[in-house]
Amino acid sequence: MLLLKLAFRNIFRQRRRSLLTALSLGGGYILCVFSFSLSEGSYNSAISFFILDHTGHIQIHQDDYLLRPKIHKIIDDPQGLSELLDANDEIISHTLRVFAPAIAYSDTDNAPARVIGVALERERRTSTLAVKISAGVYIDDTLDAEGYYSAMIGAGIANSLNIGLDDELILISQGADGSIANDIYIVRAIVGDRTSPDRATVFLPLIAAQEFLSMVDSVHEISILLQDDGAARSVATSLQEQLPELSVAPWQVVESTFYQSMQTDKQGNVFFMGFIIFIVFIGVLNTVLMSVLERTREFGVLKAIGSRPFKIALMITCETSLLASLSLIAGLLVSVPFTAWFSAVGFELAEPMNIGGIVMSHMTGEMSLYVFATPLLLIIFFAIIISIPAGIRAARISPTEAMRSH
Amino acid sequence: MNFIIRPCLEALANPATQLRSWLVVLFLCFHSSVTFAAERAIEIIDSMEALYQGTSSSAKMTMIVETPQYRRTMEMQSSSMGTENSFIRILSPRKDRGIATLKLDMEMWNYLPKINKVIKVPPSMMMGSWMGSDFTNDDLVKQTTLTDEYTLTLEETDELYTIILVPKTETVTVWGKIDYVVNKQYMVPVAQNFYDDNGELVRKLEFTDLKEYSGRMIPSRLEMIPMNREGHKTIIIYDDLQFDPPDVDESTFTLRNLRSRF
Repeated sequence: MLLLKLAFRNIFRQRRRSLLTALSLGGGYILCVFSFSLSEGSYNSAISFFILDHTGHIQIHQDDYLLRPKIHKIIDDPQGLSELLDANDEIISHTLRVFAPAIAYSDTDNAPARVIGVALERERRTSTLAVKISAGVYIDDTLDAEGYYSAMIGAGIANSLNIGLDDELILISQGADGSIANDIYIVRAIVGDRTSPDRATVFLPLIAAQEFLSMVDSVHEISILLQDDGAARSVATSLQEQLPELSVAPWQVVESTFYQSMQTDKQGNVFFMGFIIFIVFIGVLNTVLMSVLERTREFGVLKAIGSRPFKIALMITCETSLLASLSLIAGLLVSVPFTAWFSAVGFELAEPMNIGGIVMSHMTGEMSLYVFATPLLLIIFFAIIISIPAGIRAARISPTEAMRSH
Repeated sequence: MNFIIRPCLEALANPATQLRSWLVVLFLCFHSSVTFAAERAIEIIDSMEALYQGTSSSAKMTMIVETPQYRRTMEMQSSSMGTENSFIRILSPRKDRGIATLKLDMEMWNYLPKINKVIKVPPSMMMGSWMGSDFTNDDLVKQTTLTDEYTLTLEETDELYTIILVPKTETVTVWGKIDYVVNKQYMVPVAQNFYDDNGELVRKLEFTDLKEYSGRMIPSRLEMIPMNREGHKTIIIYDDLQFDPPDVDESTFTLRNLRSRF
């Protein structure tokens, strides 16, 4: 306690210098928090985008469909599985999908297409498909008067085939039983624009896609949306235990390339921020060493009256840590409301971005313990590190030489 | 004439000339036997390729496609005229009924009645599967004429002919070698073994269940087994086969007939 009191008093002996040092530490902390918030916010926006766009928090497949998709790797009893998932409180919603490559034809043109059959109402609750419609209406799974199902097509397909709303679309593919899958659909909606990831996709009602691909009452994928963004891994593990015959993967596995790049980038960001803080602390080291030099006589007296070198070194560490802590408190007082605003409102973009039909008008940050704690721990760590050489110098002062100095 | 015969007789009286003459005779015998074997091999292959066709033919077939994932049975009606023209129409199952394939010389089209569309099979798809079976489009079209594109070597035992077909240097094919095994007694195919360039057996086609159709003994069951796809097999069973039927003529092998509703 005495050490703490002494350290506190010593900080205020050179108020202007301490204030400047605190400003550089506090400013560094605020910048670090902003940088982490921006990075986390950007990544979270990207994660939210693809989770809501198609991935979901968790996906269920048969075998290694995720790595090597084959039309016959099917989930046999999707209805039974749906009941199980509907009863799970941690799950907001889930959707059922089938996939197949196909060739799409109009009267005059043809183009390669990716057919996705979706459980329409479940898909509306689980993904942003309905939001991405740029023309027409979200379809239903009923046959029209002439016995055709409706389809929603990517803008790229519409452009390649030169077709629009209410036109006929012909699809040809290979069925799950090896037969030639072929049928006619009526275009009722255009999805996204020509740059969207869905530009070459044809969305069909699940039942229509199952009939088209001869996949009676079976699906390739179940995508799940959770209440808690951070619970993907734990819920996936729990579901995997309940469904040992299927493969349950959290989004970190489904989008493993993105996730690994993100982790690498985050580690790089922490390293870079650590380097910036280290440079800030070189200035702080200068301040601490100056403070030790100015108090050479004082340390000589302390040693002469019996103070142990370790105590003197500890006092220097306490002074540096205390100064850093006060700077961090000030930094927190500024950064918490700023980050709260940044995460809730954010900066308005000069030009709104359209990503696959989803418009992003604001750049927002992230408010989380990670954002505040990571730079805080970095600053505390460096404060202790740089106080060690200064403390050793103070502890090694000889009382007789110290008395002779000014 | 004496001025021709006398030198010949003198030459034959000379022992060195005698030996040379015998060698020439032996070479001519060997050459003619090789030529005869090659011609015989061509003859056999041509007769095998024409076996199911005749001048014209009409057949009702059942195709069974077996894979580890599914087993699919299709009933088909096929017509052919020579080896150039053929027409196949699926009779069942219901969802595939009416799907038809027309082969005219070296070209091939598929007709899909549900979407009322004729699709020409491009050359790049010739090695692709026909209707999800283990037969390729090329097997149906026979774009590669065996006797023209391959060098034939005939081997025989008491019961079988084995004709080894090796592609000529200018032949474009995926096969490194084909063994064509023929039953000598009935002059019907027994098996075709297809090898890749490394000499590994890639697939085999077996002909079994000899039955009499219009007075000819013909294998009624063909079984194609791809060696590189475990659990896959396609069986064709000839339920009926008629030669020179009255309802098969040139109008059968037209795009108009292909498009006709069934």
